[in-house]
Amino acid sequence: MLNYIWAGLIIFSLVFALSTDVQELSTDRYRNGDAFEVTVTFPDEYDAEARRQPVTVDLDTTAFQSFYPEAPAPEPRYEGQLVQTQDGNQIVLGSGTELPQPWQDMRDFYGDETSDPIRAAAQLDAVTGAVTQARLTFEPVHFRKLNDIAAAGLNFAETAASLALGLIGVLALVLGLLKIGEEGGLIHSLTRFVQPVLRPLFPELPKDHPAMGTIALNLLANVFGLGNAATPLGIKAMEDLQKANPSEETATNSMVMLLALNTSSVQLVPPVLLIAIMGLQVNELVFSIALATACTTVAGIAGAVFLSRMKRFADSNPMNDSS
Amino acid sequence: MLETIRSIVSILSYFVLPAILVGFPLYGLIKGVRVYEVFVEGAKEGFEIAVMIIPYLVAILFAIGMFRASGAMDFLVDTLDPVLGFIGIPAEVLPMAIMRPLTGSGSAALVADMVAQYGEDALIVKMVATMFGSTETTFYVIAVYFGAVNIRKTRHAVPAGLFADGVGVIASVYAVRLLFGG
Repeated sequence: MLNYIWAGLIIFSLVFALSTDVQELSTDRYRNGDAFEVTVTFPDEYDAEARRQPVTVDLDTTAFQSFYPEAPAPEPRYEGQLVQTQDGNQIVLGSGTELPQPWQDMRDFYGDETSDPIRAAAQLDAVTGAVTQARLTFEPVHFRKLNDIAAAGLNFAETAASLALGLIGVLALVLGLLKIGEEGGLIHSLTRFVQPVLRPLFPELPKDHPAMGTIALNLLANVFGLGNAATPLGIKAMEDLQKANPSEETATNSMVMLLALNTSSVQLVPPVLLIAIMGLQVNELVFSIALATACTTVAGIAGAVFLSRMKRFADSNPMNDSS
Repeated sequence: MLETIRSIVSILSYFVLPAILVGFPLYGLIKGVRVYEVFVEGAKEGFEIAVMIIPYLVAILFAIGMFRASGAMDFLVDTLDPVLGFIGIPAEVLPMAIMRPLTGSGSAALVADMVAQYGEDALIVKMVATMFGSTETTFYVIAVYFGAVNIRKTRHAVPAGLFADGVGVIASVYAVRLLFGG
C-alpha cells in the first residue's frame, strides 16, 4: 500500500508539474523574449557615467495586464536601480519588496530567496530631464514547476535528516529513564496494572509483556499533549513490540494498532503548536478536540481490527508462522 | 461541570512530565537500581534509533515535499470539493483535510493562514484547528515508528491511519457545529 502511495506521490507531482509548465509555455505566461515598456524616473540627476543609480519605475497598469493577460492588477510604482554593464543597461527591481505576478513567480525561478531582486535588460530612450521610457526584457522562464519540485525534493530530504537527528536528545533522555523504570520493575507493575484495559486491543501479545507498559506511557503522554515525550515513548513501545515479532520487516497487528492509536490518539490538552498559533482561543476548542479525537480513536481501533481480518492483511500477518 | 474537568486536566498536564522525569530516577533509587549507569546504558540507543529513522523519513518527506511543490494539492482540492460538499463539509477546510496526514508543519502554517484570513472566531477556523488537534501527521508517524524498528512492510497501517484521519475530518466539522452552532 505504502509502495503505491509513495510512487503515486512522486509520479503525480511530476505529471502535475509538467502539465503546469506546458500550459504556462503554451500560453506564453512569462512573455519570454518580449519587451515591456515602462516609464523610468531618476530621483537624482541622470548620470550617464554612473554604473549604478537609483530609479523609480512606473507601470501602465492596463498595458501590464494586456501584456500579461492572466495577471491581477499590479501596483503602479516600484523602486529599483539602473545598472550599466558590459552587455548594456539593466534594471534591477524588487530588492526585498513585493512584485506583481507573474514577476513574483519569475523571481522565484531565478533566485534562491524570495526577496532576491530580478533583473531585466533595459533599452533606454534618450533621457530628457529626469524621465525616460525603457523597454524591459526579462530572462526567459522555462519549466518553472519542474525546477520547483526538484528543489523541494532535495530540501525535504535535508529537513528529514535534521528532523530525525533533532530527536536524538529527547530520545536518549526518555530511553534512559525507561531503562531505569525497567530495571526497577516499574514497567512490569505498570504492565500488570493496564493489562485488563489494553489486552483486548493487543490480543497477540503474550501475558505480562513489557510492551503493554510502554504503550500505556505513550498513550498517557498523548492524552496530555506531550508530543515531545510521546514520540520516544512510542518508539520504545514499538521496540518492545518488535521483540514479540517473529518477522524482521513485517508489521504485526499490534504494531498497526499502536500506530492507529497514535495517529488518532485521544487528546485532552491541545498540542503545543496549536497553542502557539491560536493563543488562548485554544481553550474554547478543548472540547471539540476531545470529542473529535474520541471519534478518531474509535475509528482507528475499529479500522485496525477490521482491516487485520481482511484476507489480504490476515494472510500477511507475521504471527501466522509462529503459531 | 465541563469547566472543572478542563481545569483539572490542564493542572494534571503540568505534572505528567515532571512526574516522569523525576519519578523514574527516584523510583529506581528506592528499588536499588544503579540509576546513573542504567540511564546511560538506555540512553545510548537514542542515537542509533534516530539514525535508523533517517532513510524512512527521507523517503516519506521527499515525496510529500515534491507533491506539495507541484501544486497538485490545489488540484486535489478542486476535484474533491463537490464530493465533500455533499456530506456537509465546507470547501474551506478541504486543504487542511488533505494536508494534515501529509505534513505537520504545512498544516500548522495552514491554520495560521486561516486565522489571519478569517479571524479566530470563525467557525471554519475552529474546524481546521480542531482537525489539527485531533489527528496526527500519519505518514510522519509511520516513518518514525516503523523506521525505528526497521519495519518496511507496513500492512494495513496506512489504510487504518487514513481511515481514522477521514473520520477525524468529519468528526471535527460536526463537533464544532454541535458545540458552537451554525
